This record gives sequence, C-alpha cells and structure tokens, in this order.
Amino acid sequence: MEVLTQLAGGFAAALSPTNLFMAALGALLGTLVGVLPGLGPTAAIAILFPLTTVLEPVPAIIMLAGIYYGAMYGGSTTAILLNIPGEVASVPTCLDGYPMARQGRGGVALGIAAIGSFFAGTLGVVALTFFAPLLADQALRFGPPEYFGLMVLAFTVVASLSSASLLKGFAMAAVGYLASLTGLGPSTAEPRFTFDWGPLMSGVDLIALVVGLFAISEVFLGLEESRVAIAEKIRNVFPGWADLRAAIPAILRGTGIGFVLGLLPGCAPGVTVFMAYDAERRISRHPERFGKGAIEGVAAPESANNATSSAGFIPLLALGIPGSAPLAVLLGGLMVYGLQPGPLLFQKNPEFVWTIIASFYIGNVILLVLNLPLVGLWARLTRIPYGILGPVILMLSFLGAYSVRNSMFDVGVSLVFGAVGYFLRKYQWPLAPLLLAFILGPLLEKYLIQSLSMSGGSPLIFVQRGLSLALILAAGVLLFTSLVLVRYTSRRVREETAEELAL
Amino acid sequence: MTSAGAGRNQRWVMGGVLFALGLVAVIEGWRLYALRTQMVAGAVVGDDTLPLITGAALIIFGILVAVVAPPPPAKVTLPAGPVRAQMLLAGGLLVAYWLILPYVGYTGSTALISVGLYRAMGNYRWLVAGLLAAVTTALLFLMFRVWLHEPLPTGWLGF
Repeated sequence: MEVLTQLAGGFAAALSPTNLFMAALGALLGTLVGVLPGLGPTAAIAILFPLTTVLEPVPAIIMLAGIYYGAMYGGSTTAILLNIPGEVASVPTCLDGYPMARQGRGGVALGIAAIGSFFAGTLGVVALTFFAPLLADQALRFGPPEYFGLMVLAFTVVASLSSASLLKGFAMAAVGYLASLTGLGPSTAEPRFTFDWGPLMSGVDLIALVVGLFAISEVFLGLEESRVAIAEKIRNVFPGWADLRAAIPAILRGTGIGFVLGLLPGCAPGVTVFMAYDAERRISRHPERFGKGAIEGVAAPESANNATSSAGFIPLLALGIPGSAPLAVLLGGLMVYGLQPGPLLFQKNPEFVWTIIASFYIGNVILLVLNLPLVGLWARLTRIPYGILGPVILMLSFLGAYSVRNSMFDVGVSLVFGAVGYFLRKYQWPLAPLLLAFILGPLLEKYLIQSLSMSGGSPLIFVQRGLSLALILAAGVLLFTSLVLVRYTSRRVREETAEELAL
Repeated sequence: MTSAGAGRNQRWVMGGVLFALGLVAVIEGWRLYALRTQMVAGAVVGDDTLPLITGAALIIFGILVAVVAPPPPAKVTLPAGPVRAQMLLAGGLLVAYWLILPYVGYTGSTALISVGLYRAMGNYRWLVAGLLAAVTTALLFLMFRVWLHEPLPTGWLGF
C-alpha cells in the first residue's frame, strides 16, 4: 500500500507539464537518433546526454529515461527496415523483420515491435515498482564489505558482455578500471596517472569516453558499409487480427523469458532475445516460416529485449548494478547528477525515485502513442544518405563532448577513444566491459579501501561476513550461468551473422 | 599476410599493449605506495591499492593474450582505396576542428570543417556542401548556444 501511495506521489510529479514534456521530448529524440543507421541505444544516449545537462536532475533523468526507451525502439526500426542491428539484441529482429519489410509488411513489423515493446516495458516497470523497494530494503544492511561484494557481483555482467572470449572481456574491464583511476586519488588527493599534465587532474569524463567509443567509432565503421533502406513506403502499421493472434502469445512468452532472465545481473538483452526467438521457433507448428518473415520472430525477441531492459532497472536502481551497456551509460548519467543508484537512493531521495519510476510508465505510453503514428517518418529518416548523417553525428558528438565541462580536453579524449574504439571493434574486442568497469571503478575502489581499512588489510573480511560471502558466492554462480548463456548466444550469433559480436 | 601471421600480429600487439598499460599502472602504484607510507602512518591501503591490483591484472592478461592462451584471431578487412581516404580525411578534419576551434571560434570553424566533412564523407559538390554546412552550423548553434546556453568558443573573431 505504501508503495502505491509513493507511486501516486511520483505520478503527481511526473505528470507536471515540464516533466511530461521532457519525457515526450526524450522519447522523440531517442527514437530520432536510435533510428539512424548503425547507432545503437548506447551511442544514442551518449550523444543526447549533453542535451539534458542544462536541466534540473528530475526532468533531466526523466528525459534521459525517455531517450533510453526511444533509442531502444529506434534500434528495432533499423533492424527491420535496413537489416542493421544497432546492437546484438536486435539481431533476431533482423531475421524476420527484414524479410517482412521486403514483403511490404515493414509497417506491421514495426507496429508489432512497438506493441510488444510497450507491453514488455510496462510489465517490467510494474515489477520494478514492487520488487526494487524490497531489494533496496534488504540491501540497507550492507556495509563496505557487502558493497564490495556487490561490485564483484556487478563484475559478472562483464561475462555476458564479452562476446565469445571471456579473456577479451576481462582484459577490457581492466583497461576500464585503469581509465577510471586517472585524476586525484580518493584517499590522499594525490594525482594519479596524470604525468604532471594539468588537464588529466580532473580525470577522464564519462561522456567523452562514451561518445568516443560508441558514437565516433560507429560513424567510421558506418562509412565502410553501404547501408540501403527498404524503398517501399510504409503504409499500415496497425497489425490485423490474424497478425495479432499470432503475435500476442509470442509477446507473452518473450516477455516472460526476457523478464525472468533480466532479473539476473549478469544477463544482458543480447542473451534473452536469442532464447526467446529460439523458443518461439521450437514450439511453432511451422518452424520453416522463421527467417522468412514470421511475425512471431519479431514479436518474441522485441518483447524479450524490452522486458530484459526494463527488468534491468531493478538491479540498477536497487543495487546500482547495470545489466547492459545502455544501462551503464544511464547509471553514469545518474551519477553525473550526484545520484548514486543503490539501496540508499530509495532512502535518501524517495521523491526522486518514485517520480522516475512513474515517468517510466508514462514514457512507455508516450513511446507507443508517438511511434505508431510516426513510423512512416522514422522509416523516411533511415533513407537519409550517410554522407549527411555521418558529418552531423560527428559534429554533434564533438560539441556534445565539449559541452559537458566546456573542455577542449574532453573533446580530445573523445577523439582518442573514437580511434581506439574503432580498432577495438574492428578486431572484436568488446567495449561494454570497458565502459562498465570505468563507471564502477571508483565505487569498487572506495569499498575496497574502506573494507580493508576496517580489517587492517586482511582480505578475509570479505568471506567472514555472511552477506558479503553470500554475494561473492552468488557472483560465482552467476558467472557460471552467464558463461553458459553467453556460449549459447555466441554460437547463435555466429550462426546468424557469421560474426563475433559483443552482447 | 597469411591468417596465421595476422593472428600472431594481433595477439602480440594487443598483448603488448595490455602488458605496457599494466606496467605503467604498477609503476604508478609503486610511486603512490611509497608516498602513502611516508604521508599516512599505519595505513594499510590507499590510492595505490587498486592501481597495483589493476596493473598486475593487466600484465597477466597481456601475457595470456600474447603467449599463454591467445583468443582466436578476428578476421579483419581494413578499409582500402577511396574509403580509407575518406576515413583518413574525415579523421584529420576532426583533429583540425579540435585544433582551430579555440582560435577561430565556433561559427567559422564549424562551417569550415562541416564543408570538409560533407565533401569527404558524402562527395557533395562545393555548393551543396556549403549549403549543408551552413544549415548544420546554424542548427547546432541553436541547439547548443540558444537552447543549452553553452558558452561555445568565440576565438579571435568574437563569434
């Protein structure tokens, strides 16, 4: 009951004209950038993040959440119309979405994707409403060793973001930790890794890093590929009764698979979409239709993708563990506004948390209302020549990196990481573990130092306290589960794309 | 180059980079350790702890990647011909933008670099590239200066 009262308070705040406008604007801009060929949700959020920095924290985070939802939906548009998965979570959508588009049913595929996303996203937010406070309550008993255990648990996410090679994933995570150490040390304020160079004293800015790794590198990769959109006009986006009858059970199953697995901190959408797609094909009476434009092949993975993403908000807000690269950027965004997701967030900033949760409901509705009528517009956007898109994205990324701290140094950082990101992606070294470790690095260091100071330097403190030990054991179990799931997903990605892709 | 040769190169380059980064981290951690023992008597951990751990991990990963358990090599086709020229030109223009923006100011440098980018990435004629650049400069100005109130660099020209 208390939850509902707090949620009602959240709705009262989220429905204020400013916040409502920000949710709509975020969803619109997120979709707008998300539909641009090859730009996945991570890059879209990174590019648009600077636009929120002029706002107060609540409308800014609401807009950021709208951007997240919009960008997630935008990714499915390029998968269906261009056969380009912005991220690996969109690969199964390509398998049947693109054939549907070639058969002139692209509008229906986009409509089903929007409906499935809305249903799964809303269910995820309902669960967030009731589960997250419970989880946060439990976590209130945490001390530094338990928080350190939590950071170790978060580290298991690296396994699911590592594509085929775990070694590559962990190596990239170590590079991310190293990058996060640049600047002033937290204990003595002594400069670290600055090499007596002033600009490095303030450390590497998150947005500069993300813009470089995910946006600038993407534009250069995009230059190498010829991307051609389906030329047919999108007519009807509202699926007929026959389509709905086939899609609704798939939406329900996809949502179930995506949501349950999404609660595990080590399970990214890239894993659950393939499980949902394969489950659908396995139980279908006509599995031969899959890969040739089966509507269930779009409905199930799209629902699973959104259910996992929404379920990912639970460990994100309650424990501070992001389950995917876009959520990691979102976590970084929250931290820029001085908010540390985790159990204390529910205690210290309840109005804020409940406003954000209410805005997730609103964001889902806005996305559906906005996207179904505007599908034709989004489809037209995918036809903008890359010769125009590329320069615009580069200039936007450049100025976005500058605008966060008004620093040309940050722009330089984004250019360097753009080049590094290009080669890392080219040679199939996953970027998401680097990003995750970069964001969690300062927290890991804080809790490690606090815990070891408490124990006089003995690492046994982590196994002597019940909760901390349980978290570390849970991390081991999750790591194993993630490895099994990742192996399965990597095999499936290889089968479908003949490539190794980061999840 | 044969695929075996390419694989060897990949693992040595990446393993070497990881090893070098680890070495830098360990050296920096060691410097911080010495500093901590001087500055904070009795402290068992400090700013050096994670750099040392991360450095050691990177060195181990470097050795694993290069020698012990190299990951399967990626099949990579690097861009060639006109595409490579396009990419190098676009990259060079971005670096040039970074260098000239503080001196030439937002308007002049953005217009100039945009023309170059539209020419390099889209092969548009000068007139079309100029028009696109003007629109881009104006829209980005509206977004960052007018909406976001960002103090964009004005440079010698004052705008």
